[in-house]
Amino acid sequence: MSNAFRPLRAALLVLCTGFSASAMAHNPMCECKAIDAEQIKCTGGFSDGSSAPGVTLDVIGYDETILLPGKLGADSTLIFKKPAAEFYVLFDAGPGHVVEIDQADIEAP
Amino acid sequence: MSKTTAAPQPSRLNVLWHKWRFHLNILLLLIPLGFMPKYFTNAALIRGDTGLGEHEIGEIQVGPWSLRLAELRDEAPRRDGATGHVKAFNAALCDACIEQVKATYLRIGKPRSLRAAGVIFFGTPYRMGASLPVPEKTQADAELWITMEGWDGAMHQAAIPLSQASPAAIAWLNKQGGKP
Repeated sequence: MSNAFRPLRAALLVLCTGFSASAMAHNPMCECKAIDAEQIKCTGGFSDGSSAPGVTLDVIGYDETILLPGKLGADSTLIFKKPAAEFYVLFDAGPGHVVEIDQADIEAP
Repeated sequence: MSKTTAAPQPSRLNVLWHKWRFHLNILLLLIPLGFMPKYFTNAALIRGDTGLGEHEIGEIQVGPWSLRLAELRDEAPRRDGATGHVKAFNAALCDACIEQVKATYLRIGKPRSLRAAGVIFFGTPYRMGASLPVPEKTQADAELWITMEGWDGAMHQAAIPLSQASPAAIAWLNKQGGKP
């Protein structure tokens, strides 16, 4: 009786080795959305699924002046008032680990 | 009155299994052999035995420094979760600049500042790697910008057409239909 299950076990083993997840680097990611006419909410994180509390998120003008220096909260989000000047959002998890989001790419509510 | 009772007839499947299971197990051992050439080619590429990458872009002059750049794989950008599509590049610094260069960055389009210079190359200066995000809305005439930062604070930049750096990425972008 137990013999009948052996091919099944073998097939399972082949499937498990064949479809194991391949390792990838964790890239930073950030998403910004306008929650109303005045406010924008940004959520940061990493592509391996980890969150980014305390990571720097600055709102920078097109002239490179930092309009709103900020850090993500415990829930990896930050809500800020939309600046009057043209701006972009920089999620900065360290040199070379940044995400830029231009104001044109921020979804309207 | 006979006490003998006929043993239950084994099923046809059971007979087949018992007859061939030995040969099937040998077959199971042979299947992986078919994947060996692919495995060793891949291992040689990752280890660097076959050069910097599948598509060597060549030596690029960046101010007083230079680096050799290559696409790790000659293929379309790969999806990496919510980050979007990324393309792996490898680079090797020139012998004279290894001591002088602190960091090398890669970005599609001209960086706004050194802080936003793009992804950083990591690893040994003889073979560094970086995963470059390729947004789906990238234009076919986009440029790949290399930013190098020296230990003395100097910054030098150079750009090459993306079509030269990664023909596979351009083909992929064209297939996307140039999203706005």
